[in-house]
Amino acid sequence: MKFSKLLLIALSISLFVSCSNDDDDKTPKGAYDNGFFILNEGSQSLGTISFSSNDLSTFTKDVYKTENGTDAVGGYLQNIFFSGDRAYIIAGGSNVINVVNRYTFKLIAKIDSDLVAPRYGVVKDGKAYVINANTYSYQNPTSGNTDDYIAVINLSTNTVESKVALNSTANRVIEENGKLYITDGYNDKMLIYNIATKTLETPVTIGYDGDSIEEEDGVIFILRKPYQGAGEIVKVKISDKSVSRIALPASIGEAGFLDIEDNKVYYTASNAIYTISPSATTAATSPLFTSAASYVYGFTVKDNRIYIADAKFGADSKAFIYNLSGALQIELTTGAGSNGFYFND
Amino acid sequence: MTIKLRFAFCLLLLCQISWAQKDSIIGLKEVYVSDKNLNKYSTSQSVLKLNDSIINKNEALLTDLLNFNSTLYFKEYGRGMLSTVSFRGTTSSQTAVIWNGININSQMNGSTDFNTISGSDYNSISIKAGGGSVIYGSGAIGGTVHLNNDLLFFNRFESNLKLDYGSFNTIGINYKTSISNKKWSTQISFSKNSSTNDYKYLNRYTWRGEQRWNQNGQYDIITLNANVGYKINDNHILKLYSQTSNTDRNTSLITETDTKSKYVNGFNRNLLEYDGNFGKLKTNFKTAYIFENYQYFSNINSKNFTYGKTENLITKLDLDYTLFKSTQINGIVDYSRTNGYGTSFGSNVREISSASFLVKQDIGSNWKNELGVRKEFTDNYKSPLLFNFGSSYKFTEWYNLKLNVSRNFRIPTYNDLYWETGGNPDLKPESSYQGEIGNVFKFKNITWTQNFYYIKVKDMLQWVPGAGGLWAPVNQDKVNSYGTETLVNWRKSYGKNTFALNATYAYTISEDEETKNQIFYVPFHKATGAISYSRNKINAYYQILYNGFVYTTADNNSNDIINDYTVSNIGIDYDFKFLESFKLGFQVLNLLNKNYESLENRPMPGRNFNMYLTLKF
Repeated sequence: MKFSKLLLIALSISLFVSCSNDDDDKTPKGAYDNGFFILNEGSQSLGTISFSSNDLSTFTKDVYKTENGTDAVGGYLQNIFFSGDRAYIIAGGSNVINVVNRYTFKLIAKIDSDLVAPRYGVVKDGKAYVINANTYSYQNPTSGNTDDYIAVINLSTNTVESKVALNSTANRVIEENGKLYITDGYNDKMLIYNIATKTLETPVTIGYDGDSIEEEDGVIFILRKPYQGAGEIVKVKISDKSVSRIALPASIGEAGFLDIEDNKVYYTASNAIYTISPSATTAATSPLFTSAASYVYGFTVKDNRIYIADAKFGADSKAFIYNLSGALQIELTTGAGSNGFYFND
Repeated sequence: MTIKLRFAFCLLLLCQISWAQKDSIIGLKEVYVSDKNLNKYSTSQSVLKLNDSIINKNEALLTDLLNFNSTLYFKEYGRGMLSTVSFRGTTSSQTAVIWNGININSQMNGSTDFNTISGSDYNSISIKAGGGSVIYGSGAIGGTVHLNNDLLFFNRFESNLKLDYGSFNTIGINYKTSISNKKWSTQISFSKNSSTNDYKYLNRYTWRGEQRWNQNGQYDIITLNANVGYKINDNHILKLYSQTSNTDRNTSLITETDTKSKYVNGFNRNLLEYDGNFGKLKTNFKTAYIFENYQYFSNINSKNFTYGKTENLITKLDLDYTLFKSTQINGIVDYSRTNGYGTSFGSNVREISSASFLVKQDIGSNWKNELGVRKEFTDNYKSPLLFNFGSSYKFTEWYNLKLNVSRNFRIPTYNDLYWETGGNPDLKPESSYQGEIGNVFKFKNITWTQNFYYIKVKDMLQWVPGAGGLWAPVNQDKVNSYGTETLVNWRKSYGKNTFALNATYAYTISEDEETKNQIFYVPFHKATGAISYSRNKINAYYQILYNGFVYTTADNNSNDIINDYTVSNIGIDYDFKFLESFKLGFQVLNLLNKNYESLENRPMPGRNFNMYLTLKF
């Protein structure tokens, strides 16, 4: 090989490498790239969304208002999910999903029909699957507990193209290998929906008060949080639907949320954070640390940080961000009813 | 002077707001008010009385009347929707609404929705500032609003009919007939106020670019009143007041996709009263039955609803004894039994008894003192000893100084105690210590009242999330409110031309004792003004309201506010003098087409119109 040819190869490799380096610290695609949104559920009629950059140097308390003026995002903001360049903000109190550009937060469209009390959503192959709580039994005793459904949304037209009746109550959802796994505190089952065959599979009995749901290495982790009772982590092996349980001691207070990050399970009870290995069979004996939050209403672990929402209603909430050893990195003042963190990178 | 003439003369006197110097009412023995203590025990406080001529100048529902004519601040969930009050920086359940002497705040939520009451159902509406729990019980901390029906005993057969038609298909019908002689007095009235209320939101468009408007905001309020008085003889009088009302109201949407809901509520109130005069001893015995209920349809397309009902039986004996010519004492005992049941709080009975003792002493004609104590007895909560002390001294013809200190309370409601789940049976009442100084200056045609007050409230009831996210009420914050109120009233005639001016201004600090933050939804500034001009058969008027900005959260963040606004109305009417009176009037409301709201995302209408016809025969 000629030296010049070698040089050319070397040059092109270096060019390629530098290119990919450029890709790594990519130029932001908008003001809200490389950061996270904090969802503030607000009132029945109006919630807000805050934003912080990942380096915690910039913070906007009400991104939606900043970018969209007087347009109302809706109330009881429940969840954000992403697809491509778009973010979908579910306003459960207003039966609407706001479609915005995830980097500029400019409103693109609203999905505003065929949704009734939408809760959580996931995306698979260009379609969103959004759980709708529909009516509740206190307002509709006859069918309030059996009328929940999945709205299947075509994301290219932003319309609900079909509904899947669940004959149950439903709330949180995750997607794993083409199947939806759904929990809700008001029934004792984990529902399973097969997207390809469009059928509901036999549900798995997990017990009432199931809330947070996560998947790790073929196992689904569900945190049960009975009111004024001891919590429990329920593990369901996807392959054979076998169930195992980790009892949480009643002494640690009411269970809150569960998240899995870097092969570790994190959960909260009262305002303390605990961690165990995914293979553990018993609960943690002592907390990782105790947060300053008085009412933990949202919780996520991501990239060596622990995010905690301390919700207040009728007043600003707080978001506390800790490192994994519990050292506070920053305290942010967010909108009313902060309930979740959504990462935009 | 014949009785009729005297009555006409008094009507004339009352034609404008009379600032409740009770002196102006004394001497009119033919009027029997049910709420005697309002006149008797308020010499040391400020009372603003609005009579029919003022009532008729505003939109039918009480919010609009009080908003434009008093220092009271209102939070309205859109035009005609739920409306709650803040008086002297206090909460909506710290203003008591008194119907003919009976406290009618909801047993369920502790407050009154001022958009369910139409002003024309009453002969007068008085607004008394400051503490009044000794006489009126729970909730009389910021002040009291009195809805009064007066019975008159003289020969008459008179009917009034008022018809309104305005923008957004707003229709008002009010018919009142008064039939009386020297023995009997009857007043029967009917009112109906409705609107499709589908006004456009100024400068607001949906993301599709469509004009936004007030959807699902229709309301319909019907009230029937029948009041009868019978004079057994000059010393013994029986009175019966009865009122039934139904409010059928949808709840306006914040976003077009909200689920449409509806709230239906009603009440039935009956009050039987006996007045006996035994020389030095006078008795007043009242027994009342009050029923209130609501149904909430969270989806108007569904038959399902949640509901709550309370039945409240009240008996009250008030003995009034003239100890000396200058000194009167009152002993009052009352018993109230409430039976409440509903979807959210099961079935619960609450019994409260109370005893109060009041003294009123006049030292000469210029110095008046009043003193009262009250204690309640109930198993439901621990009740503080309430008191009231006031003094009024007239230094000169043009200056009157008033002092008043009191301790007042607000009891926990059915929702607070029994809500499933979360209700807390171990709550204490909210209680306050408060004091005020009032100065009344009178020069020729001007009356100027300047009040200063301080209210210290503790054990504020607040719903907070507890363990596991369950909301429960607790006795938590302490709030200090203080400020000043200015009430000015001027009236002058030049030949056939009569001018009148009424103005109010309130400066209010209401702060959380711990954070020193202003309580949210309490404006620092509120002002109102009304000018009227009349000549012969023409009457023209202009009203203006300024509402300072309010914070919308407890943090006092400058981004979370409702902007201040100034709104004005103008109106004119002409009396054609067919029948006894035949007035045709026209009003422009929100004259300057101001885009405003009193709650975030609850826009109020822009410029709109109303015409009315008032007949008297």
